[in-house]
Amino acid sequence: MIEMKPAVKLPTTGERRMVTGDYAAAWGAMVSRPQVVAAYPITPQTMIIEHLAEFLAAGKFDAEMMRVESEHSAMSAVIAAEATGVRAYTATSSQGLALMHEPLFVSPPMHLPIVMSVVNRTVASPLGIWVEHNDTMPQRDTGWMQIYVEDGQEALDMVLQGYKVAEQPLVELPMMIGMDAFLVSHTIESVDLISQEDADAFLPPYKPVHAYLDPQRPMVVGAAAPPEYIQEVRWETDLRMRRAAEFLEETDREFGRKFGRTYGGMIETYRLEDADVALMTLGTVTSTAREVVDRLRAQGERVGLIKLRSFRPFPAERLQDATAHLKAFGVYDRAVSYGVGGPSYIEARNALYDTTTMPILSFLAGLGGRDVTPQDVELMFKKTLAAAGRGRRASGVHWIGTRGVSP
Amino acid sequence: MTTVKDLPREDYFLSGHTACPGCGGAMVVREVMKVLGPNTVVYMPASCLLIFSDMYPYNAFKVPSLQILFETSAIAAAGVKRALKRLGKDDTTVVAFAGDGGTADIGMQALSGAAERNEDILYVCYDNEAYMNTGIQRSGTTPFGAWTTTTPLGSTSEGQGKNEFKKDVPRILMAHDVPYVATASLGFPADFLKKVDKAKAKKGFRYLHVLAPCPVGWRAESDSTVDLAKLAVETGIFTLLEYEDGVLTLNREPRFTPVREYLKLQGRFKHLSEGQIASIERWVKDKWERDRALAKALGPKPKVPVAIVR
Amino acid sequence: MAAQALAVAASHDGYSAIAFPFFGAERRGAPVLAFTRFGEERLRVRTQVYEPHFVVVLDESLVETVDVLAGLRPGGMVIVNTTRAPDRLVLSKKAKSATVDATTIALKHTKQAAVNTAMLGAFAKATGLITLEGVEAGIMEVFGRRLSKEIADRNVAAARAAYEATRLGEGDSGRVYAKATKWLPTAQELPPGLATPPMETPFGRVGVGSSPSNLTGGWRVNKPVLDGAECTNCLLCWFYCPDGSITRGEKIVEIHYEYCKGCGICAAVCAPKAIHMEREIEEEVKA
Ligand SMILES: Cc1ncc(C[n+]2csc(CCOP(=O)(O)OP(=O)(O)O)c2C)c(N)n1
Ligand code: SF4
Ligand code: SF4
Ligand SMILES: [Mg+2]
Repeated sequence: MIEMKPAVKLPTTGERRMVTGDYAAAWGAMVSRPQVVAAYPITPQTMIIEHLAEFLAAGKFDAEMMRVESEHSAMSAVIAAEATGVRAYTATSSQGLALMHEPLFVSPPMHLPIVMSVVNRTVASPLGIWVEHNDTMPQRDTGWMQIYVEDGQEALDMVLQGYKVAEQPLVELPMMIGMDAFLVSHTIESVDLISQEDADAFLPPYKPVHAYLDPQRPMVVGAAAPPEYIQEVRWETDLRMRRAAEFLEETDREFGRKFGRTYGGMIETYRLEDADVALMTLGTVTSTAREVVDRLRAQGERVGLIKLRSFRPFPAERLQDATAHLKAFGVYDRAVSYGVGGPSYIEARNALYDTTTMPILSFLAGLGGRDVTPQDVELMFKKTLAAAGRGRRASGVHWIGTRGVSP
Repeated sequence: MTTVKDLPREDYFLSGHTACPGCGGAMVVREVMKVLGPNTVVYMPASCLLIFSDMYPYNAFKVPSLQILFETSAIAAAGVKRALKRLGKDDTTVVAFAGDGGTADIGMQALSGAAERNEDILYVCYDNEAYMNTGIQRSGTTPFGAWTTTTPLGSTSEGQGKNEFKKDVPRILMAHDVPYVATASLGFPADFLKKVDKAKAKKGFRYLHVLAPCPVGWRAESDSTVDLAKLAVETGIFTLLEYEDGVLTLNREPRFTPVREYLKLQGRFKHLSEGQIASIERWVKDKWERDRALAKALGPKPKVPVAIVR
Repeated sequence: MAAQALAVAASHDGYSAIAFPFFGAERRGAPVLAFTRFGEERLRVRTQVYEPHFVVVLDESLVETVDVLAGLRPGGMVIVNTTRAPDRLVLSKKAKSATVDATTIALKHTKQAAVNTAMLGAFAKATGLITLEGVEAGIMEVFGRRLSKEIADRNVAAARAAYEATRLGEGDSGRVYAKATKWLPTAQELPPGLATPPMETPFGRVGVGSSPSNLTGGWRVNKPVLDGAECTNCLLCWFYCPDGSITRGEKIVEIHYEYCKGCGICAAVCAPKAIHMEREIEEEVKA
């Protein structure tokens, strides 16, 4: 007979139900009370907007819902709504996000704190509908904050936290919340559906501080500008991205005090304190990696894990502190910057350049939605362990689970 | 109803903008703003208008204005309107002023979407018949035969000016069955003001297509703007029409002044061959035949009972 | 285009040359900046020119608001389109000067007030660095290729006439300019996201409704003049003026010149011909 441990009681403040990640994100959006929602369907994001439409139809939710004709328009509509002075929400994925690339650049300099759920899905070609981070990673320099979550609960909680951080008058930057296609979006799990009351207590109504459109208090919002002004705007946007780091940490702590769940802020660590080597992961692979860490620990390997939650702002200082004692560091990515390696590997190497000479390895796996198995993750740890103490020369890019390519 | 004499002295689109001397686009915006008044929010896409009225730190509008992208006029205006509604300011007019390129070409998708959803905005296309801001490139509404920098002159069939006829954007909007579609010309102030008035008063998606001669791009004298706007109508080249609740009205039977009278004032047509001019004459004739038939055919739109369950 | 034509001319004459416009909100008639560098060696600096050897001023009215000699090198020269003799120029400092009435020449030869090609002829004469043949080559290349041979020919004629008519001398000092004319707040002072309400700055209003800070009257070549006795107060000029430069009075309209760009529309729409256009000659008030 199989022995089972008694179930752990999870903190619950609202109603706990078995729902998909898309449902959780839609719920998070609903209780954040956006005044305008504009979206366009794309697998695997569709359920988010379907659920919002159901909430609306049932009278649970009250907002202007714009069923627009493209993602370009969805993003433009929420930009315009935020510029007018209301909270706005949208969600997309993959090709949709790529189509939004142009309007993505608009809101960060203009102080428009939009929140958007992005179901991470591979971008063609070839066309696929499964998880890859090559939709969000290329949006790195648009000025959006970028968070990666691991499960449905985090997808929900981050919408609320997202608005709170994004709307800080010292931040006023938009945030995209990446959730892995199917592995989060379509996976049913137990989620604490935060009540409207609790959400309201955590997230006050939006009051635009700097930009709004009101004939009683006229303002120019959006302008063409000569070189005399643009560089200062860039600097100021950069400053706000740097400032956002502190608010991400603080908001997560505050959320924890209220709801009994925290996510560690920009990074979360697992069994890292006495580890010799560690792997950094983002998205759902993190869950699998925790399991692998436990297994390897049981075999006597001193390994640990860092979950990268915030890709922008990038948690350089926290990473420096967290990795100071390591002998080697592996970085897992679900996207490739062709010819160089994984995007977060590039960032990590940059962040750690001043503080370490240990080898830093790039691991690419699970592209196009291929499963990343515990064996794959174990191999990443093994390779990192083998590189321990060998200095920067042992760094390199490893394709895990690619037929015909030795890892 | 507003006539020239009843127009307010007050301007909401101010002097000091940097449009070229004699710019028809600037005239359109100035007059429309006089009618719309202070309770208005303006959207501008990338265009001559943006550059001549919203180059930081200056701005020529007395009312709030928004600018984000080139192809987003209809959707951005719609987003503003939806938000204003939530803020209890449904009485504020939201107007988008867009060029022909931003309307007929790159902005058509968002325009069609907003029209189909019957977003409560006023969309004004000031049609100067080319991409003027980027230096006179052809657009979907550039007329047949016109020289532009992307339809330059040369000895081949590619060197005779634009080889295609003007895209009929108002007809595309009519197919969306929106509450109001009208064309207007600066040459006919009473008709123009009547239409702006009506467009302001209605709810839902309203589309105004205004011919806005551009002395620079049309290679014409800067004082010929109004004459050109008149002649475009009197030659039958530009039709004054109105589409309201499914009924199409042709507002003015032109004199059918020979098209040459219009063409000869504009350097962009200087190279036209007799054959090309004959094609334009033919096009005018066919267009009027078709539009008359269309006006006859388009009756009031069927009243579909809409049940709202609460 | 004149800066480009000058670069082509310099290149034709054997120099290494580059030219580029400061790409601003360039509309017809609006003040613009363009730069040409030429020399015997290969040019490497690709920036705006801050310390020119020569300044060519296409529109005399600019010298009232812009210190055109601000960066001029010692021994440098200013070449101005004006009806005035070089010795009658009053600028911020004494400087070698050349003048030519390029507007009249351009109107005569090209039927337009576009003086850039005429000023190339003046440049050739004043500096002696570029040949008239070079200038012709420049005009042919830049104007002939883009517009037509006929237009290029007329412009060449204008350049030749200007070459002959250019006078040399020395301008006087004494004109005083405001130190800075532009609002250049720090990154911290700029309105966040450039979202700007109507704001007063030491350099005038910015933000909503601020375009009147920008006096466009200086663009004008011809100015409208009203004969009040003929005005029937039909208000068409008031309606049509794209620059809002005409106001309504009790019985007749009134024309204002701060923003009037001289398009001539008011005159064209005036049925009783109460408005006519006149060539505007700068009346210099000695500073
Ligand atoms: C996506 C995109 N493509 C191209 C441009 C460049 N662009 C700016 S304005 C313009 C032409 C505008 O033409 P039109 O809409 O007719 O307005 P006009 O300038 O003629 O008044 C173009 C092509 C842009 N801003 N954005
Ligand atoms: S190019 Fe034409 S449309 Fe643009 S500002 Fe000049 S006259 Fe107006
Ligand atoms: S010339 Fe007449 S119409 Fe043109 S800007 Fe001056 S006052 Fe206005
Ligand atoms: Mg145009």
